Amino acid sequence: MIYDALIVGSGPAGSVTARFAAEAGAKVLVIERRAEIGVPVLCGEGISRKIDAWDMLTGERWIAGRMDGARIYSPDKTCVALGAEQAGNETGYVIYRDIFDKELARRAIKAGAKFMMNTKAIGLIKEEEKLFGVKAKQFNEELDIETNIVVGADGVDSKVGQWAGIKTRLDPKDLETCAQYTLENVDVKDAYCEFYLGKEVAPGGYVWVFPKGEGIANVGIGILASLSEAGMAKKILDNFIKNDPRLKNGMPIRFLAGAVPVSNPVETVRDNILLVGDAARHVDPITGGGLTHCLEGGKIAGEVIGKAVKQNDFSQEILSEYETKWKEAFGQKIKRNYLVKELLLDMDDKTLNHLAHALKDKKFDEISTHGLVKEVAKELPISTKLKALLKHGSKIKEIKNQ
Amino acid sequence: MGKPKAKIDINKCLACCGCISVCPQDAITWSGGKAFVIDEKCISCAICIRTCPIGAISGEVY
Repeated sequence: MIYDALIVGSGPAGSVTARFAAEAGAKVLVIERRAEIGVPVLCGEGISRKIDAWDMLTGERWIAGRMDGARIYSPDKTCVALGAEQAGNETGYVIYRDIFDKELARRAIKAGAKFMMNTKAIGLIKEEEKLFGVKAKQFNEELDIETNIVVGADGVDSKVGQWAGIKTRLDPKDLETCAQYTLENVDVKDAYCEFYLGKEVAPGGYVWVFPKGEGIANVGIGILASLSEAGMAKKILDNFIKNDPRLKNGMPIRFLAGAVPVSNPVETVRDNILLVGDAARHVDPITGGGLTHCLEGGKIAGEVIGKAVKQNDFSQEILSEYETKWKEAFGQKIKRNYLVKELLLDMDDKTLNHLAHALKDKKFDEISTHGLVKEVAKELPISTKLKALLKHGSKIKEIKNQ
Repeated sequence: MGKPKAKIDINKCLACCGCISVCPQDAITWSGGKAFVIDEKCISCAICIRTCPIGAISGEVY
């Protein structure tokens, strides 16, 4: 059996790529090194309401809660509140990622994709530089899987990317190192996603509180690896929980560690090879959110694979349509938000407080990074980075203040 | 005698793969749900130690 596409990794990007490739007629196999799809959960579990229009998920079992909005707290605890309409882009639902991932896999299986668990890719099979397949290991058995295309949906530490000669190593300043508890018995009543900023709270990142239903919430932290010390993320998070009266009596029912790329995107196409999801760095560098990009990018990748199969041409030239299209869909946004990330890193707590005071009574039609940056520009002397950003942002839809 | 190498406590490791992603020498590998340091490749730079969110990596390098 020669597959059209072998997808390494069964996360959202992998499963969505598999589904759309299979729907377009490709023979698809997904391999997953872990023993269960979606487990362990490595995610804050927030996702935009944008996905409602995408026909990606069936049923409602994956929804833990629908959010009414978001609150962003500056270091002095000044709150900038965003209603559902404004915050929906980033915080529409809190989800059960394990179920979410399985639902996406189910759609892929329905479309005809095959899945193998406990199967780790260990290398590419090449002859005279031409790719023929992937060497894999299931339990202790080595297998050679023949395929025309290999899709690296293998996450932040992508091996497929590395084997393809794409620079996938992350600079510590481009990685958020994360820890998260799911806490039972917390006093979090309303359906607002909360974000806490500040040098002491979370250096180069933020603490989040995402309610998952009555008395239960994901409470997590992401800090920039370049500002981290050994074990710092968990230590600061424990302290945050201890000092919040709503959270301090919470009992952990889950703990996880995570790593989120917050870099500029990498090249994602070679002859016979594509990268999707975290492996492609399809993550918003400000929020660390990547789910919507994984779904959008996966759909594009699957459709392009379908076309390549029809033409029986798996060259970089043909597959590069994927890169062109994801860049159109969200590549500009990632590049811009990378600049915003750098700008935020330069801000001290005093500046963040100042900004929050200026924004707290404003009503936004929608949350827009460019709009926020314009507000920053009003408050702060223009820096070179900010100038570059405003130039970049002028192409992007403007915010309307009411 | 080389410098001491980074060491991952497999009882603590939750396999988030952060250390693997930042290692400049590709000296950390994933196996059976845990991360392992390949001593021959480790250059004792301590980037992985600082990155680990739960302090599962130690070494006198740090």
